Amino acid sequence: MRNSERYSFISSGAALGEASFRPFLPLTLVHQQASVTASGLLDTGASVNVLPYLVGVELGYNWEQQTTALSLTGNLAQYEARVVVVQALVGQFEPVKLVFAWTQAKNVPLILGQVNFFMEFNVCFYRSQLQLEISPKAIVSE
Amino acid sequence: MVSPELISTLQGLSREEKFYVMQVLISGLAQQETNLIKPDQSYPVWSPYDAVEAADTMLKVLQAAKNQDHA
Repeated sequence: MRNSERYSFISSGAALGEASFRPFLPLTLVHQQASVTASGLLDTGASVNVLPYLVGVELGYNWEQQTTALSLTGNLAQYEARVVVVQALVGQFEPVKLVFAWTQAKNVPLILGQVNFFMEFNVCFYRSQLQLEISPKAIVSE
Repeated sequence: MVSPELISTLQGLSREEKFYVMQVLISGLAQQETNLIKPDQSYPVWSPYDAVEAADTMLKVLQAAKNQDHA
């Protein structure tokens, strides 16, 4: 991939050894004057991006002011969720707008899913090497 | 790395010994695979899989935000 960056998988704990490695991507989220540096789990099986409650609070979002409600699936179905649109910086790439389901769940990872992270970036996983490669969509469509 | 000496040693084994080495290696690999997920532990799956309606709503909100930026 041209104009790509490589990242290493990150271990979530030594207990499971090889099985503990996850494709987490460091990124910075910006909303108005607030910015948060976080690690997003690249989850190709997730329909949507998910923002944990406390990260949304750290970005300065007010729950009551986010009026578009969502119903999520799986373990997240039990929590209320609202839509927020956040500016995201990944590596040296141009900033992109990411839309998140801001959930009231606090113990969920920040999830990067099909809408709209994988609509903005092309990602190639090299699990056997514990590496991933990412590039913005615009470069590939040239 | 597998050394040439090791390959040479393996190739020098009898047919029975080669089968035995293969069995040892294959059972070791199979054991490693089953160790990846431990019994009696819970592994939460947070993926909002098939949340199609939520995805559709979010795309509409995103488009509205982009339109607002261009206005």
